Amino acid sequence: MSEENWIEVGSTDSIEEEDLIRFDHQDKTFCVYRLTDGFYATDGICTHEEVHLEDGLVMDDEIECPMHQGIFNIKSGKALSPPACVDLKTYPVKVDNDKIFIKID
Amino acid sequence: MKNNIIILGGGQAAIYAAIEIRKNDTESNIKILGEESILPYERPPLSKDFLLDKKHEEDLFFHSSDVLINENIDFDNVSINKVDFENKKLFTKNDNVYSYDILLISTGSENKKLCLDDNLNNDFYYLRNLEEAKIIKEIVLNKNQITIIGGGFIGLEIASSLSQLQKKVTVIEIGNQLMGRIIPKQIADLVQNTHIEHGNEIILNKQIDKIIKKNDIYEILLNDNSLIETDFVIAGIGSTPSIKLFENTNLKLDNGIVTNQFCETSIKDVYAAGDVSNFYHPLYERNMRLESYQHAQNHGICAGKNISGVKTEYTSIPWMWSDQFNLNLQLTGICDDYEEIIERGSEINNGVIYFFLKNKKIRGACGLGILGKVGRDIRITTKLIEKNTIVDRQILSDQNQKLNKLIPKL
Repeated sequence: MSEENWIEVGSTDSIEEEDLIRFDHQDKTFCVYRLTDGFYATDGICTHEEVHLEDGLVMDDEIECPMHQGIFNIKSGKALSPPACVDLKTYPVKVDNDKIFIKID
Repeated sequence: MKNNIIILGGGQAAIYAAIEIRKNDTESNIKILGEESILPYERPPLSKDFLLDKKHEEDLFFHSSDVLINENIDFDNVSINKVDFENKKLFTKNDNVYSYDILLISTGSENKKLCLDDNLNNDFYYLRNLEEAKIIKEIVLNKNQITIIGGGFIGLEIASSLSQLQKKVTVIEIGNQLMGRIIPKQIADLVQNTHIEHGNEIILNKQIDKIIKKNDIYEILLNDNSLIETDFVIAGIGSTPSIKLFENTNLKLDNGIVTNQFCETSIKDVYAAGDVSNFYHPLYERNMRLESYQHAQNHGICAGKNISGVKTEYTSIPWMWSDQFNLNLQLTGICDDYEEIIERGSEINNGVIYFFLKNKKIRGACGLGILGKVGRDIRITTKLIEKNTIVDRQILSDQNQKLNKLIPKL
């Protein structure tokens, strides 16, 4: 695993617990979440329709799309509730010196 | 026990009920009888992404035929024209017979038709199913001046899509606001402004006196003597539950099939779910009939549970959405029974929500915003309604304060 692919997102205190922030890098957009057991990252756009998940609601391990209430598991990306039926891509996250990094392939 | 379970109607409630029954019951035969020749599919995109060519037929199906085969769920494309509840039989036009032990009716709803001139009945178009959407999509290619009769959700969504296809669109609504049946005027006015900004003409408070066809042009004469010339007419003037089949039976009907909170009808072993059902809602302590995606899904699932022996009350809070241009409108709960209105936000860029309160609790809320701007707050509002929470008005009205603060901690 090369170090170059880890991209700094921001400090750990930039995300409240059970919440998320949007992170844009080059031409891609991501969501980075703080759950009770750590930080996670997924693609930022819902797989159902072109809407950013940053305005969605985080509940336990799930993110719910703000447009049509499609639900995804944040850790696995699995689509859990219609109208979402395509899984969300997830990305590895690490924390180093209170900074959050995500690994973008 | 192995039962013959028949689901009459092949829409969203039907497929969700069938899958749910199979989860709890691996033995019974499950058969869906659908009048359309294709498997159950999503209807919301028909008036939007399907017309805009962003979604296609193959994108719409809830499940593939492989899933139905794996789940051992049969689907017959058939039209039933007689029901014998006493002997538990359904008859097709050709007198083919389907016998059931348990019946779920999910026949949905159908479009109200314009009653103006019988000679023009085939000239007016409606959009409910895929076939109708395909026809409209093809015909509008060569039309420019399009008139939509009815300023409800379907009419406005079509108006939004056709405007994006560079058509000149006029919407005629008989009421004094758009979406007047369930959307508060404050939100309806914001939606109206957006349509006008995009070039759509919105005519309110006008009735159609008559429509005259001259060659390929229709002249629509309104009750104030104004005249609209158009080359294509689409009507979206509401719908009625599909209950014709049961009118001369002893099934209790009243604005649909009357059901209790367990999706049970007045006849033993007969259930109803989705648009066709006028169901009892325990939280609101009244009957209601809903036509929405979420309801069709959840009511179907609830019926499936009860049919397969998992006794389950239907307590889902009504929720629906409409997408027009880059706006997303959402409604949760009911907004017609309140003592007080609280406004949150004033710009659609950040989202505007109106909360409808009674006894210091939210009964319903309606919001409008660019793309997903109101979704999170509306979702939290649904939780507040579910939990019957007494709310802090100050937090509700201040967009800088998060609504999660209002959710009671366990």
